[in-house]
Amino acid sequence: MWRLARAGRAHFAVPCSGHEAIGVGYALALEPGVDWVSPHYRDLAALLVLGMEPRDVMLCFFSRPSDPNARGRQPYAHFGSRRLHVLSQQGPQPNHCSHGVGCAWGSKLLGDGSVSVIAFGDGGAQKGEVHESMNVAAIHQLPCVFVVHRNGWTQSVKRSDQYATETLVARAAGYGIPGISVDGTDVEAMYAAASEAVRRARGGGGPTLIDAQCVRFMPNTSNDDDSRYRDRAEVDALRATGDPLVRARALVDGAFAARVDTENEAIAAEAAEWAEAQPLGDPASVLEHAYA
Amino acid sequence: MRELSVIEAVREALGDEMARDERVILLGEDIGKLGGVFRATEGLFDRFGAERVVDMPMAETVIAGVTVGLAMRGMRPVAEIQFADFIHASMDHLVGEAAKIRWRTGGDWSCPMVLRTAYGGGFRGGPYHSQSVEAFYAHAPGLKVVAPSTPADAKGLLLAAIRDPDPVLVLEHKRTYRAIRGSVPEGDYVVPIGKASIAREGRDATVLAYGMMLHESLAAAETLAAEGIDVEVVDLRTLLPLDRETILASLAKTRRLCVVHEDTVTMGLGAELCALAAEADVLDVPPVRVAMPDIPGIPVDDNLEDAVLPNRATIRDALVHLVARERTRAGVAARAYDPGIPQASSLIEVALSPEHTRVALDALVSAARAVPRCNATFAWTGIVEHEDVVVDLDLGPASPAAGRGTITLVDYGPDGSDLAIPFVRPGQTAAVRIGAVRNGRAYVACAVDHRAVDGADAGRFLAAFKSAAEQKRATPSLDRRATIPMSP
Ligand SMILES: Cc1ncc(C[n+]2csc(CCOP(=O)(O)OP(=O)(O)O)c2C)c(N)n1
Repeated sequence: MWRLARAGRAHFAVPCSGHEAIGVGYALALEPGVDWVSPHYRDLAALLVLGMEPRDVMLCFFSRPSDPNARGRQPYAHFGSRRLHVLSQQGPQPNHCSHGVGCAWGSKLLGDGSVSVIAFGDGGAQKGEVHESMNVAAIHQLPCVFVVHRNGWTQSVKRSDQYATETLVARAAGYGIPGISVDGTDVEAMYAAASEAVRRARGGGGPTLIDAQCVRFMPNTSNDDDSRYRDRAEVDALRATGDPLVRARALVDGAFAARVDTENEAIAAEAAEWAEAQPLGDPASVLEHAYA
Repeated sequence: MRELSVIEAVREALGDEMARDERVILLGEDIGKLGGVFRATEGLFDRFGAERVVDMPMAETVIAGVTVGLAMRGMRPVAEIQFADFIHASMDHLVGEAAKIRWRTGGDWSCPMVLRTAYGGGFRGGPYHSQSVEAFYAHAPGLKVVAPSTPADAKGLLLAAIRDPDPVLVLEHKRTYRAIRGSVPEGDYVVPIGKASIAREGRDATVLAYGMMLHESLAAAETLAAEGIDVEVVDLRTLLPLDRETILASLAKTRRLCVVHEDTVTMGLGAELCALAAEADVLDVPPVRVAMPDIPGIPVDDNLEDAVLPNRATIRDALVHLVARERTRAGVAARAYDPGIPQASSLIEVALSPEHTRVALDALVSAARAVPRCNATFAWTGIVEHEDVVVDLDLGPASPAAGRGTITLVDYGPDGSDLAIPFVRPGQTAAVRIGAVRNGRAYVACAVDHRAVDGADAGRFLAAFKSAAEQKRATPSLDRRATIPMSP
């Protein structure tokens, strides 16, 4: 996707390299079709686990009107699917936090036992939106799990210009809810942390904050030039220890990992080729679902 | 039918709908035991419990945000923002999220939420408890914005809002809560969103209003009815989407538009409504807007607040001027009088020869110099005395007044009657009429705009006219600054 966007064949790419284990970890801890997700925009991995088809991901990437996420109306990574219980995502970060809390509130009122995961970046976490959302979720002991992708960057702004603490887990105590610190590049650890939090939420134990540390290996988006603020060599040096894919490969047989990689590349290439060939929108359709 | 106040009607709608639909829950500040600062939710906490009548933290962003989430999840949440002045912390969720969710997902998701809030001034609340916020939110396609003004509509529109599949902002004018009572149907009914109503039928002009200003406009219309002006008052009820059909049908009938709102004038709803009328080309004369001046807030001081809020008197005055405006469209007879100008008049007998036009013009100029108030323009903001005397001469049907000038002189010559009182034209403060000359004498009458000139001045003016005319000193040429406008 990165290469296609840079080549001008799609408008916008949002890399998730370094963030994959967080999404995989929490998505595996959920019951698909029952639980609800307000994902971070780097959570493509979670969506694939939850059942989004690669072709649909690519329709979203090419902003085609047949994209079930955003129907050619929002750029890539603004996910949303009623079928998959993924709340429609938006541009202003991270407004989906309170939406996820409202969704969890609905679960509580309807008594259906479902849990909501609400994921966002550590930059987003500095907004009042997140404070207000965690406070309300704590007051009403709502069945939700807050997951913060703590990669230390908010586009070009480094951690110490965004918040004065090293980590964010201590904030949980401020709301009277449990907090879990986890290495978000370790898929097993992430799965364990998410499972614990989901279990607690489902059992009526209220929200949990998971502070998942990770590395953003790529620029913020395809519109970003991170060479102006980051040292590429330093970032690349983190690959060995901080790349969740490298770490996950080490957990399985090398030949198996290689085969999966090859298969996935073929699936992605096929989906991209197919999606790019899908028609663009009919201008008249822009008024659909509008009223005034 | 029983009578309820607006707040009672709101309360009834909330209670009825909560009983009817379990998915309806209320969220807001102080709405539980206290029953809301305006008591909209009084009794509902006891009736439905803390699970469905939820006191929220004083955090308007999350009130709106969780309301969006609850709605997406299939509930029917109704949130209250205590004062509209505090709603902007919710704006990101209303405009950025709720309004866009259906459109941005091609209908996969929707956001059936209601946000109610109390707006409007008139009770010494000061800048942060009085504002009108409709223009911000009526500029957000994807939102629906309603503003009921009667108890029956407050109930019916709120029920319609809760049942609407999309987000609705309900603006309740807090002065209507208790000041306005009216009959309200028992039981279940909805007032459709997007439909205005004709609150009063009339022929001469259309007022578009809502909220408390609807009632002020109706009061102004009543006063004017006694003065022979027949005003139609349209209660917009829904501000987005506008009921263009009803609005334009009324304007097509009256061809004159006055928009009244408490919101400030620039970029207010009036701008859109005037544009709508202009684009549809349904007006004979330019529209008027009666609105708050462009000040950042509503002041708390009694005198200051009363000075800036539109009221029945300012609406009446605006309508009088609107109705009096000459029609600008070709083929429409001119109405060069303003029934709203209160006149005083005075009379004097002057020795004049039958051929007296030049003498009379000169005398009129000297009289205007002597009493400048009679050569002026009145406006509520102040009286402007003109340096030049521009006489608009009305010599009868064959040579009527041009409709320009600073003072009118009517002289029908020997064919005219002995005595008649002229009318003061809009933009002028005096008109003089010379009657037919009989035996070297004629009655000269002067009418003045009584708001600018009193009767004694009219008398002094005529005395000056008489003395100048009787000196019979016909100057060789007119005063340098006195001109007669050319015929049209
Ligand atoms: C309200 C708002 N402000 C600014 C942006 C632009 N923006 C998009 S992503 C981003 C960085 C967010 O960083 P963070 O929340 O830490 O997540 P990360 O990208 O690091 O995963 C910014 C500033 C936005 N989308 N919304």
